[in-house]
Amino acid sequence: MEQEVILSVKNLHVKFDLRGKTLNAIRGISLDLYKNESLAIVGESGSGKSVLVKTFMGLLDANGKITDGQIIYEGKDLTKFKTEKEWLTVRGKKIAMVLQDPMTSLNPLKTIGYQICEAIELHQGLKGAEAKAQAAKILQDVGITEPEMRMKQYPHEFSGGMRQRVVIAIAVACKPKILICDEPTTALDVTIQAQILNLLKDLKVKYNLTTIYITHDLGVVANVADRIAVLYAGDIVEIGTCEEVFYNPRHPYTWALLSSLPQLGIKGENLYSIKGTPPNLFTDIKGDAFAPRNPHALKIDFVKRPPYFDVSPTHKARTWLLDPRAPKVEPPKILGKLREGVKNID
Amino acid sequence: MLKYSAKRLLQSIITLFIIITIVFSLMRLMPVEGYFQNFEKMDDAQIQAALKSMGLLDPLWVQLKNFFIQLFHGSLGKSLIYRPNVPVMDIIADKAPISIIMGLVSMAISLLLGIPLGTAMARSKSKFWDKFGTAFIVFITAVPAAVYYLLIQLYFTEWFNIPILFSLSDPKSWILPTLSLALPNTALYAMWLRRYMVDELNKDYIKLARAKGVSNKDIMKNHVFRNAFVPLIQYLPSSLLYTIMGSIYIESLYSIPGMGGLLVNVIQRQDNNMVQALVLIFSAIGIIGLLLGDILMNLMDPRISFENKGGAR
Repeated sequence: MEQEVILSVKNLHVKFDLRGKTLNAIRGISLDLYKNESLAIVGESGSGKSVLVKTFMGLLDANGKITDGQIIYEGKDLTKFKTEKEWLTVRGKKIAMVLQDPMTSLNPLKTIGYQICEAIELHQGLKGAEAKAQAAKILQDVGITEPEMRMKQYPHEFSGGMRQRVVIAIAVACKPKILICDEPTTALDVTIQAQILNLLKDLKVKYNLTTIYITHDLGVVANVADRIAVLYAGDIVEIGTCEEVFYNPRHPYTWALLSSLPQLGIKGENLYSIKGTPPNLFTDIKGDAFAPRNPHALKIDFVKRPPYFDVSPTHKARTWLLDPRAPKVEPPKILGKLREGVKNID
Repeated sequence: MLKYSAKRLLQSIITLFIIITIVFSLMRLMPVEGYFQNFEKMDDAQIQAALKSMGLLDPLWVQLKNFFIQLFHGSLGKSLIYRPNVPVMDIIADKAPISIIMGLVSMAISLLLGIPLGTAMARSKSKFWDKFGTAFIVFITAVPAAVYYLLIQLYFTEWFNIPILFSLSDPKSWILPTLSLALPNTALYAMWLRRYMVDELNKDYIKLARAKGVSNKDIMKNHVFRNAFVPLIQYLPSSLLYTIMGSIYIESLYSIPGMGGLLVNVIQRQDNNMVQALVLIFSAIGIIGLLLGDILMNLMDPRISFENKGGAR
């Protein structure tokens, strides 16, 4: 099935200047985002998940810059945007974001109503009473009862879960095409997490959104994603449908990541953890970035960066193990229990 | 809100009451010279008689009671040495208006200069305005005020042809003293505003505002400035009131008939009643400043509320 590409990233490189040294945060990512899909970007801390999506909105910190590549959205290359005016045609209007911590992402001195209306007035062209009515409707949609009364309240009068609903309401109020959820449930307790994920799923259908989830919680991924991109050291090492990545993973890093799911642990034994540390991104990485931590690493992994090998039309992975000349390496046995494990996650 | 203000007002009155009691009691420890103009020429019997007639030999609590009764009738006693037998209230009423006007004008100047400077500094972090502002703040804080007050008086009067001495009827003579008086506060406001604004700029809600497409200008105006101003606003009433109490340097440099030198003057001349009255007034001003600051803060920041409201979960 041929799907419409809404946003296309081509060979993106992002570098940061830190204390006179250069950090290679994103090392040549290419990615197509399809209309109305739900893509999950997973990876450990520092793998470049947040940096990647920040480039879509021009929100990189001042010391970061895109050194190469393109981000094509609606025929325009976002990496060429220089002025704030250009970015304001995209931020909120086309791409909106839900941040991680609802406790700090609302302005404590402005009413909820003001903060939602601000987005509505900017992007929907409504003013005054009309904007307020629209805000009330959106609050209702995100599951906040008595919206008229709630709009007059301040963030401190809301609980964490309720605040995250408000943050989501603000994002939706922009009427974006793409909604980026940057770890939307990390700061919430488990009982609320499921509610928020269900809400996001409902809104995706209702408002016709394309969603990108950034997370390191594979439980979230199993719950919401159509496709999964696995990031390691600023590069996508494996990408495929949820089914493919969970049940037929090909990259050793994905194996390791999945093996460390606590649900797969055996009672009485230590949980699996990936040995070693992520590579130092200040240096140029030779070969496969995961090679030093990879028990299945081949000689070539240390010398030459692997290309993508297609597993299926929707599934590809960047590892020499997929090369026809490579020895057969079986994925860890423990992953066979994954189907059962994922059920427990849901 | 009303309940909160009433509660704070009550607290302030109690605090003031305690301060008055302490100050009054301490004043009783002062040498008795301060009650007489011609102490040297009096003999012991005369002194004792005079002290008795003034009620100063009564037990402390009786004196205190009498003082409070007097206070409720709006009297702080009479000056003894500074201007003998003139009610303290009249002396202050003479001098206060000019200090109040000077204070208000210089406060307005320091806000008008300090706020734009602080904002410019926060916006151009570690660029020109920030460096300029930092230099200004360091200069004002590090150099003793007397030095630049004097320089301003010496050179500005000459360059701009402004009269050296203050005169009530000549508006031009107001410029330099009010400007000088405004400088320390300007530096303070700019410094705090910059600091609070930079703090706010780094908060998550600014990221969200940016992500929802609010322009930098509107973020500064509607989110950062307002939120950074709230912690500052608490100090405004106090700093206004302290400015009103006057500056000895400024008032003596330009010979302004204000309240500035009054306290020092009466302490030197040991006018016990005047000292007592002025200390009370100044501490009352301090307390009122804090009270107003808290009330303003309460008005501006919805998070500060001492009442239980429904709806929070």
